[in-house]
Amino acid sequence: MSDSFSLPLRPVSEKRERPDPLPVEIAQINAQYGSFRDVTEDSLRAKIEADKNKDPWADEEESDKASVDEDTTERLDQLYKRRAAINQFAHQAHMEAMFALDFVSLLLSKHTPRQAEMSMSAYLKQVAPLGSLNAEIVSPPPKPDSAATDIKTVSRGWRMQNFNAAANKLLDSANRLETEVTSETKYWNEVLAVKEKGWKVCRLPRERQALGVQYGFLEATPIFRDRGLAALRRTNDGSLILDKGLVPPKARTVRVRVRSRSQITGCSKRRPASDNAESVESRILQARDTVYEEELFHELVREARILGSQGVTTRQNLVQFPVSKEQEVLLDLVDDDQGSLFEDEGVSSHEHDVVADALAHGIRILLAHAHRQNLRRRTQPPPPLVPKRRQTPEYQLLRPVMAYLQHSSQVRWLESLFKDIHQVLKSAGITWDFTATPFSSLSLKRANNELPKVETLVQEFLLPYESTFAGQLVAPQSSFRVKVRTNVTSPPFGTHYEISVHMPQYPDVRPPNRIGLQDEAAFVLTHFVLLDILTSITQAKRSPLNGSKQETDRRLTWDTAYPHSGELLALSSTGLCKKMKVSLSRHELTVQVYSVGRIDALDPSPADQTPAMRSQTWKLDGTPGQCSLMDFVAEVSKE
Amino acid sequence: MHELLLFASVPAHQHHELLQQLAGLTAMQPCHRLERRLIFKAYRKPGLINTRVGASQDLQGNEMQRLNKMLNGGMFYTQVVGSLSEADFGAQSSAVPSGDPDAPMSGIVPGEKNETHSYTYENQPWKLEFRDIPEAGTRSAVTTRLMASASLPKGDIMTPMNAWGYSFVTEYVVEGDIFILNDIVIFLHRVLHYPTESPESHGPRRQLPSFQQMSPLERTGSYILQASITVQDGGNQEMMKTASQHLFGLREQLKSAVRLEQADRLSLDTRAK
Repeated sequence: MSDSFSLPLRPVSEKRERPDPLPVEIAQINAQYGSFRDVTEDSLRAKIEADKNKDPWADEEESDKASVDEDTTERLDQLYKRRAAINQFAHQAHMEAMFALDFVSLLLSKHTPRQAEMSMSAYLKQVAPLGSLNAEIVSPPPKPDSAATDIKTVSRGWRMQNFNAAANKLLDSANRLETEVTSETKYWNEVLAVKEKGWKVCRLPRERQALGVQYGFLEATPIFRDRGLAALRRTNDGSLILDKGLVPPKARTVRVRVRSRSQITGCSKRRPASDNAESVESRILQARDTVYEEELFHELVREARILGSQGVTTRQNLVQFPVSKEQEVLLDLVDDDQGSLFEDEGVSSHEHDVVADALAHGIRILLAHAHRQNLRRRTQPPPPLVPKRRQTPEYQLLRPVMAYLQHSSQVRWLESLFKDIHQVLKSAGITWDFTATPFSSLSLKRANNELPKVETLVQEFLLPYESTFAGQLVAPQSSFRVKVRTNVTSPPFGTHYEISVHMPQYPDVRPPNRIGLQDEAAFVLTHFVLLDILTSITQAKRSPLNGSKQETDRRLTWDTAYPHSGELLALSSTGLCKKMKVSLSRHELTVQVYSVGRIDALDPSPADQTPAMRSQTWKLDGTPGQCSLMDFVAEVSKE
Repeated sequence: MHELLLFASVPAHQHHELLQQLAGLTAMQPCHRLERRLIFKAYRKPGLINTRVGASQDLQGNEMQRLNKMLNGGMFYTQVVGSLSEADFGAQSSAVPSGDPDAPMSGIVPGEKNETHSYTYENQPWKLEFRDIPEAGTRSAVTTRLMASASLPKGDIMTPMNAWGYSFVTEYVVEGDIFILNDIVIFLHRVLHYPTESPESHGPRRQLPSFQQMSPLERTGSYILQASITVQDGGNQEMMKTASQHLFGLREQLKSAVRLEQADRLSLDTRAK
């Protein structure tokens, strides 16, 4: 519409051709201010000022102000008085109306007596007989011209005033409409900007005339899904505000902390604050993140409740679970702004910040995965309707994370155990090696064409974890294999060690089927290595290290006496009996050799042939220059 | 199991729009479905003696009673459904044609097309679907019928079906899209006919013609919208009521787009006379 079209709304006020005659003005001044002597410029100015400042309602306000000061009893008193006055006025009005009615009735009773009688008061009926009053039309005397012109002028003035008022109103509403249009335009532009960013804009289901933006997650639990919709409201100046209803507008986030030995050693990073916090876009983003975080925490608590048997505890706003003996993970929901206050409080080191961050990302990825699973479940043909409601199982958020942490801590422990033993044996000159395959169960290349790649990737981490350790033992043909399995989704819960050993020398020695405790596993493993060392000592004779044939012949032959306590016996050709005790722990290998005595007691032992108890210990750090175990054995084997 | 149904006819020009609307309503992408459906008719095998007709003083055992009921009960048409993919149409049969002169098409070197895609009749999975005639005299405005489904062995279905006393009648293809809304399965589909061949075959086709050759049963190309809910226990009145309420809810939601209504009972008659 072109804005060139304009319509004069105000009435054109004509300048009066002929000014008022002076005598009239003088008469008016005399009537208004009295004698001309009193009218000075100053008094007139003062009057104009006073008129300007005076408010038409000033009188009433003044009396109101006065009444404010009065105390309550007076006010109550005044209230009653005023009420009485109102009543009085009403009565008076009523009475006057009744008089008027009586009068008209009496007048009419001449012509229609029956009807008029009905509206007459009883008193009037008694006092005046019906039809005693008559009326006649009299022609009024003609009004003087001056009166006619007066009336004309007054009505003209009234009309002018009304036109003016109407014009003002129209112009006002035009203004109002204009501002309304600009603000509407602003609003809709912002709505369009929101829509162009890719947000879903729709009508609110419960409030059909309002617009809303959907930022939530369709696959979330219903309460959180429904919270993912907020109204886009317009303020008076047309800017857009995001109305989330009763939900507090605070941004909240799930914080992950790692506690080692009752000291916080790691805390996940806060979300970086948006640089433009006031824009609608960032508000929507913040609302979306908050609803995601709250759902995440809700699901964490829900899952934590069923994991009570596995050491997970919940407080009002805290979920914590143990990783190892001295480490635990704490998850809580904090306000974003509060996070900055608490960030440095109680955090003694940033050693595990990476772990905490990884956990924080991990649980979020897992929730997204759970959402995808929900979509999958929702779009499958449903099972037939049964009276029992299907309930959604708890999402796997904590469990994979716990399993991973537990598993990796167990695997690291086992690896360190093996490394220690390896080190001890190495210092004793025995080569013993193992290969560790941590997380051998994860195969990220496993192809599954039915599922999208992202889902297959996450799916891998929901399966039980398994790591394998394998290696050859010292004795030929002996080997061992340890499988570490961690499963927190289905029983048996926790981490288990499956040890299988192939030892041809001890075919009937079998490790326990499934070992759950670290100490036990360590004990079993060292025991097998010990048995293996014993075997290699007994076999050492058959494969001499570097001795000549004569030397070999003079050596004692060691036989295992009590393999499970690490004892060997050797019987020399002279009948002297030697006992060797081998003990192995993760820190050291000790070999002690005693002379037990002669079996043939008749022959006194030569002094030089009774060696004192000899012992040799190989430590973890491997003192250089120590002889090897085999050398030691070879030495003590000499007769 | 019982099945509650509502139907609507969707003209071809509305099809695309309705797909969009349904996708919005159910918040999911349409799941395209192609199914070949074989119709089988039950028949009484000749030579079957109806034991103990008339007054027998013997008390029939439970088992016997059930067997008799099964043998002498009503005869029904049943459907065998096999799902297909678009690529199955017009694909060369990979099965070695044995004594079937129609199978190899002239001009095509065997094995050349096999690399792209092949339709193997022997690997076609099947599902048996039984539908009873809709219940009569129900006052609610939904079609209710007894139903049962069972999966069948893959491949040649004629032999087992014949052994169970069913003879092949005809086959057709159903093409459409499925949406899921809570418990309701919404199937927007149409029936396609195979191109008429001169020799009337007496068994399911071992290979499929190209998809373009398929002609819709309804010449105008209109679709059928079928909304269904299955209920595990048809005797549970409360469940049936909930299910029909769900359907009515859907009917209200789709009111401005299509009119969902009950189907004519006799047109869904599956009894074999």
